[in-house]
Amino acid sequence: MTRYAVEIENVTKRFGKVVAVNNVTLRIKENEFFSLLGPSGCGKTTTLRIIAGLETPDTGVVRLRGVDVTNVPTHKRNIGMVFQHLALFPHMNVYDNIAFGLRMRHVPENEIKERVKRILEIVRLPGFESRRINQLSGGQQQRVALARALVIEPDVLLLDEPLGALDLKIRQHMMVELKRIQREVGTTFIYVTHDQNEAMVMSDRLAVMRNGVIQQVAPPHEIYMKPANMFVASFIGEAINFFEGVYKGNGEFETKEGVIFKVADDPQLINKKTVIAIRPERFQISDKPPEGIPNTIKGTIEITVFKGSSIEYRVKTPINDNVIVFVPNISPTMKIFNPGDTVYISWSVEAGVLLPYEEKIELETIPVRR
Amino acid sequence: MKLTDLFLKVYFYIMLALVYFPIAILILFSFNESRSKLAFTGFTIENYISLINDRAVWVSFYNSIWIAIVVVIISIFLGLMLAYAIVRYNPKGKDIIDTLMLIPIIIPEIIEALTLLVFFLILGIPLSPATIIIGHAAFDIPLAYIIIKARLVGYDPQYEEAARTLGADEIQTLFRVTLPMLMPGILAAAFMTFVWSYDDFIKTFFTKPIGFNTLPVYLWTKLSRRGFSLDVNALCTFIIVISILFTYIRMKIIQE
Repeated sequence: MTRYAVEIENVTKRFGKVVAVNNVTLRIKENEFFSLLGPSGCGKTTTLRIIAGLETPDTGVVRLRGVDVTNVPTHKRNIGMVFQHLALFPHMNVYDNIAFGLRMRHVPENEIKERVKRILEIVRLPGFESRRINQLSGGQQQRVALARALVIEPDVLLLDEPLGALDLKIRQHMMVELKRIQREVGTTFIYVTHDQNEAMVMSDRLAVMRNGVIQQVAPPHEIYMKPANMFVASFIGEAINFFEGVYKGNGEFETKEGVIFKVADDPQLINKKTVIAIRPERFQISDKPPEGIPNTIKGTIEITVFKGSSIEYRVKTPINDNVIVFVPNISPTMKIFNPGDTVYISWSVEAGVLLPYEEKIELETIPVRR
Repeated sequence: MKLTDLFLKVYFYIMLALVYFPIAILILFSFNESRSKLAFTGFTIENYISLINDRAVWVSFYNSIWIAIVVVIISIFLGLMLAYAIVRYNPKGKDIIDTLMLIPIIIPEIIEALTLLVFFLILGIPLSPATIIIGHAAFDIPLAYIIIKARLVGYDPQYEEAARTLGADEIQTLFRVTLPMLMPGILAAAFMTFVWSYDDFIKTFFTKPIGFNTLPVYLWTKLSRRGFSLDVNALCTFIIVISILFTYIRMKIIQE
């Protein structure tokens, strides 16, 4: 039997009338880098705060390393947390900030000294003990906050959008650093973010949340290639195309215009309103009808954007008047289509994912509370 | 361009002069040899010697100080608790409380003093140092509240949550994180309320028992009994110096 670092079972939390977290169940393995991803207001931060004990769930159970901690106060759970605004104590220097948790645990001062030194080496800030917090750059403060949370050797480290305030460059660097530090200390990380890029780059697995409900839990590549629904498909990745219609069974999908496309069979969706979801890079584009590819539509190029490593086309077709197509820039002699050109876009059976149709996919919701 | 610069300079010095010239004159004349209010005839420190020999000065000084200290403790304790609760928990009636706290500061002091006196008379409470303290505190609590609350705006409860996740219980969080972080506001409020209580004349005059003087009240009795004298100048200078000293210490602490 696998022992999980963190388990939450059927957890629900309401703020007034709003259900912030709706019957969420998650099992996070030891040493896993796990992300909770979703638009603001989806309940990811509340879920994290419930694990930390900063919010009490209305119903459900929280377990840390198999022990039920649902009613254990925050300071008695062995957790580390990095806050969105870091919350480094401004009236203490770096050393006292990092030593805080160890002093609360009555660790002898000479051992504290050793451990602070070691953790500062791990976060690559050796010798920073006597610096004041306001003398540090954003990235350095980030590392101190990490060190402070990690030095107590927590069962799990909770991170609440800690990179949000950093510049793009430093953020990208810190993503790699976080991953390195996680491997070096071998601690379970639970990382909350609304930035899919952060979640995709760092996570072993991630959970996509929406309106308090978990949509899908899977490794990044699976989330990208086999999204569970239209929301996940649209939220993850740069872009996605949807073709609306009805699945007729036998691998045949009929659009409202009566065109038949081939898809992988899904018996559960027979005779239901569905969509085929296709990533822009899964298409092939050509000026003549291709042979041996089951699905083809004729269209007209509306926009051509040369992006360097790829070319983005917007194609008007009878079925969807804004099909996004990415073509990798694989050869200096490749043909570049211009607006007005007639093209054929085609895709294989595996390129399309059949998903139940949803009326409204709101990628932004109003935050429940800060 | 030049002209505006000049104008601003002159304007600045006129303003400074208006504020500090009377005080400077008073301090200067406290060293005056003759009783004249108009002419400086010669330098002496006699006025200060007679001040030092006046036992009543020391008694009233002592009264002023200990009353101010008690007032500071009460005002800070209650003002801090109220300000913290309002900022941290953001309750519904907070705008009403803000207004209620502002009223004592904006109404004329003579009216405050009268209401206090009437209040004590109606309740049959005999006037004592305690009534002075209640009188001062009733109007210094709002002051402490306003100063501390101004410092608290933007205080992030994440600091307390961070302490909790690091293993600190409520009490440890209070003493190691919350209070140290609020200390600048607390100190600013403490010095302001101290100076307000120490400087106060009207409320003290209305709520004091007979024969009990604070320094400003003693100054008044001296003036009303014997008219203007040179040691009054010296006494004023003494009171001013103490006030300035406190303001200076406060500034130094805030700079730290």
